[in-house]
Amino acid sequence: MEALLASIAKNIFVIFGLLAVGGATAMVASRSAVHSVLAFLFAMLNIAGCFLALGAEFLGMAQILVYAGGIVVLFLFVVMLVEMAKGKETNKAVFTAQAKVAAPVVVAGAFAFLAVFKDTVFGASAAQALTLKPGLAEGLDVARNNAQAVSRGLFADYLLPFEVLSVILLVALVGAVVLAKTERV
Amino acid sequence: MPMTLTQLVVMALLQIVLLLAFVMMLVPLITFAERKVIAYVQVRLGATRTAGGLWGAQAGRTHKSRTLTGGLNGLMWYLGRVPMLSIFRGLPVFIADAVKLLTKEDIVPEGADKAVFILSPAISVISAFTVFSAVAFAPGALFTFPAWFPIVGGLPFNAFLTDINVGLLFILGISSVGVYGIVLGAWASNSKYPLLGGLRSAAQIISYEVPLTLSLLVPVILTGSLNFNEMARRTATEVHWLAIPLLFVGFFIYTTCAFAETNRVPFDLAEAETELVSGFHTEYTGMKFSFYFLAEYANMILVSALAAGFFLGGHYLLPFGFQTFLMKAGETAWFNQPSILFFLGKVLFLLFVFIWVRATLPRYRYDQLMHVGWKYLIPYTLVLIFVAALIRYIA
Repeated sequence: MEALLASIAKNIFVIFGLLAVGGATAMVASRSAVHSVLAFLFAMLNIAGCFLALGAEFLGMAQILVYAGGIVVLFLFVVMLVEMAKGKETNKAVFTAQAKVAAPVVVAGAFAFLAVFKDTVFGASAAQALTLKPGLAEGLDVARNNAQAVSRGLFADYLLPFEVLSVILLVALVGAVVLAKTERV
Repeated sequence: MPMTLTQLVVMALLQIVLLLAFVMMLVPLITFAERKVIAYVQVRLGATRTAGGLWGAQAGRTHKSRTLTGGLNGLMWYLGRVPMLSIFRGLPVFIADAVKLLTKEDIVPEGADKAVFILSPAISVISAFTVFSAVAFAPGALFTFPAWFPIVGGLPFNAFLTDINVGLLFILGISSVGVYGIVLGAWASNSKYPLLGGLRSAAQIISYEVPLTLSLLVPVILTGSLNFNEMARRTATEVHWLAIPLLFVGFFIYTTCAFAETNRVPFDLAEAETELVSGFHTEYTGMKFSFYFLAEYANMILVSALAAGFFLGGHYLLPFGFQTFLMKAGETAWFNQPSILFFLGKVLFLLFVFIWVRATLPRYRYDQLMHVGWKYLIPYTLVLIFVAALIRYIA
């Protein structure tokens, strides 16, 4: 029993990862849009589990708070209303014409990803945490002060990229407002 | 003392069982208290007059028979005359409530999405209970197991399940998953009133999550931590005196949002009986309904625990950081010791406030609700955060 638990603790990242992939597969394969959203939620929670397994607890909790708690709910909102309006279409084939194109692209993409990140994932340095600038975390016990380490990176060294990203989000917001307005006039 | 894996697992299981038992016991007691308090406030007769025996509830004094039931009836009625023992009146209603919830027929409506219909109350109740794993009821150990105890003998039994350093984020994240239970349950019922109720409820919860989280940032900024124990200790005992009015205002904003988050009166638009039958759980019966019920009350306990922990002084005696002044009297004084009793006292008082407000205030209109949330609470909390950062900068 103890050996089993120890091995689970060791491989917990793989377990969460497989569950996340399973959730993502179910999301694509599901016939009902609401079931897709549920599977997506499951995948998101498992990705948070992956972050936790890597010792990035701040990132994991932010993942749950932002994606599972906020964004997927909004997806669900839209999907629910669309499904109500559309009625039920039960016998619609899922993998249609696009599948012939999509499947090779996905497989090729996966292989390309593996080729590029082969050393990062399986190489000798895979056990070490990936830090862009180790100097940033100086004087901080990253394992204990996760939130501080992340915020130091975001608000001290990478402040400009961070602000530029939020401007991009603002552009999306303004675009949404414009789209909503023009329809009414 | 380092623990072996077995000890760790057994200890965690014991703590989980105790925690679940505590919440599960508290929930029916709150519903009973709710009946009693509302009955006293609004002069309702049922819960303040009903006495009864094992064979059913009857109005006490009118049945003075010599049978066993009549005797019990009379006994409960007379016990209820003593002010402290007035719980005996209305007790049959409490028992009838529990029996009704447990024995009702479990119906899955035709046309419902069966899997999602069954899954959603489970999501609600699981997320409502999981969050308690990051709540610290006292900063240290409750008691130490005696040495003869199997496996865990000699180990301290902590009043918290985990002491993670992102505890507050964990609580907020997991409790935000609970909204899926409501939305999906409403959708899966395949019926109009639940869908309307579910949409309303989800919009309300997502809207009020913003000021709720922002108001919790005030103690986060003041303490510079996300750990429940650390935040509770430092907001109670180590804040600058300027932060006391800040915590006071923050408490009221937080509590307002908490009422909306838990779908309680005056913000219970999700289950407005006059408009929506009973909202998202209209089609639910039996155990599935009681899951929603459990989740709602567990959420009430949770938000009360957060308010008690971060604004009302946590495990210490005085609220809003006033304990800082008391701490000058020395750490050994009894009123400077953290205690689970102080914490539970505050939680129970807040639960009473929930019931008190329900008995007093009428329901808001939906547009008023959104108005309050977006136009008042969010700007106010932003100002609070600004002031908190300023105080942190000065002190």
